[in-house]
Amino acid sequence: MHIPDGYLGPYTYIAMWIIMIPIWYYAGKKLSVELRSKQVPLLALAAAFSFVIMMFNVPIPGGSTGHAVGGAIIGIVLGPWAAVIAITVALVLQALVFGDGGITAIAANCFNMAVVMPFVAYYIYKLISGSTEITSSRRVIASAVAGYVSLTLAAAVTGFEFGIQPILHHTAEGVPLYMPYPLSVTVPAMTLEHLFGFGILEALITALIFAYIQRTDTTILYGEKSIAQKKGRKGASVA
Amino acid sequence: MIPDWMKEVEVGPCKCSAVHHGKKGFVGKTIDGIFGFLEEAFVSESYSKRSGLLQGLDPRAKLVSILAVVFATSLIGDLKLLIFVYALTLLFAYLSKIDVGFFIKRVWLFIPIFAGIIATPMIFNIFIPGDPLIGVAYLGTGAHLGPLALPDSIYITRQGAVAAVIFTMRVATCVSAVVLLFITTPQQTLFKSLRTVGVPKVYVLTLEMAYRYIFLLMDLVREMYVAKKARTIKARGIFEEQRWVGGRMGYTLIRSLDMSEKVHMAMLSRGFSGDVKIMQEFKMHNRDYVAGAMAISLSVVLVLISHNIIRI
Repeated sequence: MHIPDGYLGPYTYIAMWIIMIPIWYYAGKKLSVELRSKQVPLLALAAAFSFVIMMFNVPIPGGSTGHAVGGAIIGIVLGPWAAVIAITVALVLQALVFGDGGITAIAANCFNMAVVMPFVAYYIYKLISGSTEITSSRRVIASAVAGYVSLTLAAAVTGFEFGIQPILHHTAEGVPLYMPYPLSVTVPAMTLEHLFGFGILEALITALIFAYIQRTDTTILYGEKSIAQKKGRKGASVA
Repeated sequence: MIPDWMKEVEVGPCKCSAVHHGKKGFVGKTIDGIFGFLEEAFVSESYSKRSGLLQGLDPRAKLVSILAVVFATSLIGDLKLLIFVYALTLLFAYLSKIDVGFFIKRVWLFIPIFAGIIATPMIFNIFIPGDPLIGVAYLGTGAHLGPLALPDSIYITRQGAVAAVIFTMRVATCVSAVVLLFITTPQQTLFKSLRTVGVPKVYVLTLEMAYRYIFLLMDLVREMYVAKKARTIKARGIFEEQRWVGGRMGYTLIRSLDMSEKVHMAMLSRGFSGDVKIMQEFKMHNRDYVAGAMAISLSVVLVLISHNIIRI
């Protein structure tokens, strides 16, 4: 899903930069208040994890392998705003140091994978899990749905960005200059592929990671630590 | 004194991957992927230490120049200009003592493979109507492919072929320019130079740290997969294996967040207050100004020519 340079025309990628700059700015402001001096190490390690998660090959039926994008689990664990910055840093590293994904398309890639994915995933997860216990199996299902929907939606958004290219950029004779296919091709192509393939894998992986965190250490989940600390404080005051 | 043979830089990629027999499963593929990643990082680093033309430039001038060229390339719609810019990247690769064969392979083999998949259907009249070049098939009226109505006969069009070549060349030229940037600049310097394009200090530091810790986490992942490989006699069911991978990812996530706590403590104990300071060790020379000015004027001229404002 990393869009290289030359797929999107200038109107689209410049528009994506204009959309992303305030999002980055706001996320940065919010995090520097919330995390203070912890901001740099936490985001750096989270970004390194976002980068590394794509290296894990997962066996899929048919003898082949696939890999997860990880935007959903990062959104659920870190909270959506920290995920924006962590995944952005990972995407910038991929574009700048390994040539994976374009420079002009950084903003578009960040919008699809660092904004749409963690936000959609986080709110779906919150919505489905409601006020259930942190260890309930409903939360595992919530994380699976979050992974599935967020990846498919991110793919549909990518398809939309591709599909508007022939409308925005073509020569006088109507020959497209960038991504040549219309919305009727790009959106179904991107969506179906994820609806019946990668989306299922992302759902499975997100749920498996979440279940592992449930079994091991739930304090790392965004918004859960404060509750645990509150409980701890209450216990201390009773004692 | 360091003897000369120790200063020599390895030419081309080293083959550090382990030998594999038969079909690779997900474990073998992951281990290979990680070795491939490390190999690529080492190769870039070895090229960035050579004494070539681009390596000698100030990273800030280089970053701005390459960004200008990539931006201009993304606006060019003329094949001849694209070929010219692509040839220019090859020339600069040569002048920067990069093995041109390796450079071409790095750009064409790995990256625009998807550009090819996208470009191939473009040449037919399904998407781009135009003058027929080669006939392919006659379908008759009312043919469909999914939601798409197909024309009566399918042929390769001149316009489609030209558009496909332009599309692929543009992607390749952009990739070529970016590869040139990161292959001739040590990563840490590259991140620092991002200050010039307005990236805040906090993120420059975050990028630097993230890059460093990627290697540590990669090693952690490699060890887990190697350990699994070493202990595996017979593969388990697919869901069991997937559960194992999910668990390992969860473990890596917990480990990395735990590590961030420790790194934070270590930083605090060394006097970090949240205020980021970055050493500025760059110095712009005349040649850097000249290079930057030349790259920017080249980019402007390219855009003007491709939009018919200047005619040649």
